[in-house]
Amino acid sequence: MSTIELSSLSKFYGNQCGIDSVSFAVKKGEIFGFIGPNGSGKSTTIRTLLGLLSPTSGKATIMGMDISTEGATIREKVGYLPSEVDYYSEMSSKDLLLYHAAIYRVQDAEHKIQELATYFQLDLDRRIDDLSYGNKKKCAIIQSVLHDPEVLILDEPTGGLDPLMQNRFFELLERLNKKGVTIFFSSHVLSEIQRMCDRAAIIREGKIAAVEDISALLSKQMKKVRLVTTSAGNLPLPDGAQNHHQSGQKHTFDYVGPTQDLVTWLSSQAILDVTLSEPDLESIFMNYYQS
Amino acid sequence: MNSVVFKKELKRNRKNTVIWTAIVVGFTALILSIFPSFSEMGEEMAKLMSSLPEEYAKALGMDEETWSSIIGYYGTYYGIYITLLMGIFTASTGATIIGKEERDGTAEFLLTRPISRGSIATTKLMALGALFLIVYGIQTLSAVIGLLVFGEDVNWSVMTTMHVHGFFLVGFFTASGVLMSSFLSPKLNYMGPVVGLIFGSYFLNAISMAAEKVSWLGYFSPYHYLNLTAKNGVLELNLIACFGASVVSAILLWISYKRYLTRDIVG
Repeated sequence: MSTIELSSLSKFYGNQCGIDSVSFAVKKGEIFGFIGPNGSGKSTTIRTLLGLLSPTSGKATIMGMDISTEGATIREKVGYLPSEVDYYSEMSSKDLLLYHAAIYRVQDAEHKIQELATYFQLDLDRRIDDLSYGNKKKCAIIQSVLHDPEVLILDEPTGGLDPLMQNRFFELLERLNKKGVTIFFSSHVLSEIQRMCDRAAIIREGKIAAVEDISALLSKQMKKVRLVTTSAGNLPLPDGAQNHHQSGQKHTFDYVGPTQDLVTWLSSQAILDVTLSEPDLESIFMNYYQS
Repeated sequence: MNSVVFKKELKRNRKNTVIWTAIVVGFTALILSIFPSFSEMGEEMAKLMSSLPEEYAKALGMDEETWSSIIGYYGTYYGIYITLLMGIFTASTGATIIGKEERDGTAEFLLTRPISRGSIATTKLMALGALFLIVYGIQTLSAVIGLLVFGEDVNWSVMTTMHVHGFFLVGFFTASGVLMSSFLSPKLNYMGPVVGLIFGSYFLNAISMAAEKVSWLGYFSPYHYLNLTAKNGVLELNLIACFGASVVSAILLWISYKRYLTRDIVG
């Protein structure tokens, strides 16, 4: 049985489409990526799963329970990290986390909160209102894991976190995943999905474009190559290169194919400098559809 | 009902409740404390009353009793100010107790906890009821103490009827406030519509009492049915109006509750 299963789930706001016939399944113990550009329907899908939005049609279950009828029981076992953190501004982080713990009847809450706050370097006594975006996010991370959920739903989880904290957060996720926690990881940052996930669903304009293993996704992934050669002559391009532009010694092109082949090709060229970058999501989608 | 959320709601509204309770209790104490001075000037006040246009006095619910008996005097101010103040507090709290969560974005936090929407709505309405009872109860207690201290031969039957009517009147305004938050945008400041509803109800009744020609306007105001001022020392309990106000308030709350169960929290 899948831990999260969506079957033709749709949400329309009047005539406007939020998501349209979204279907995929997340296996137990998996870290599942959910990737798409801003406004593609990621948050709408998550908000529908959590009962904040009523689905227009279709069905979804979490741990076999229907989201429309068993929402409260589902949420008992789910931790949710929102993309935008809007908490009670008059409360301190500690009060908010204790409030959360009281609702979930968490045993030894104070100790657990202190331990996680130390790990994420969060000052618990400051009012939510006075916290920076990054610190609010840390508070949100702590509440999402405090009650030992079986499923974690993360919506753009790293926004506002510095690289050190991102790393700590990823390590925490890996530890939780080893304990059997299923993680649904929504992001528009492909490198995060690459690092954390086993499989991913790609959503675009409210519709699922594909559900792929990360390795398959990477094999179809395009890279932007910028290089400076030692002379301004013609450059014999590798297989998989496209959209080549040359200006003197400077070359740019998109590359689709095995990364190893690109590295081999680069090592055979007379190059002064090289930059490989991740293209934006739209380019990935265009490439994905073309392939 | 969820006891953790219930306590949180009471705590969250504590400051407002203390302020509004202090206002209504302070006002009650003030008006009752100055009654002896008015009473001593009985004849002069009666003359002053007779010099006022009849329509004006009627609109304010004033007559000779206003200055000669403490309960007549108290009833006039209870109807004009105290129920309005309590109504504004409870209706605005009713409008914000659910809507504020959505406006501030905290609805997402609350609704992703393992509590059903029905339970959240019930808890919030119970907290609202508790706040209403606190303000109403303390004001009533302060009025009883004030009447005992500053009055003689208080007609307690009129006082009881006045406060029973006041209870259902303020209760109706509270339920209307809750209903407003179900239909108006959460980004809207509810104070305007709340004050409009309460003052509108009051003035509809005042105008209907002042002028025969437009007396029908009173039918659209709850003040018309739940009368707060005694005439010739008599104020009859209108049980049908109390029952009607209860039914209407219950319907308004039920509509709000049903709407809350399916309302999309867009974020």
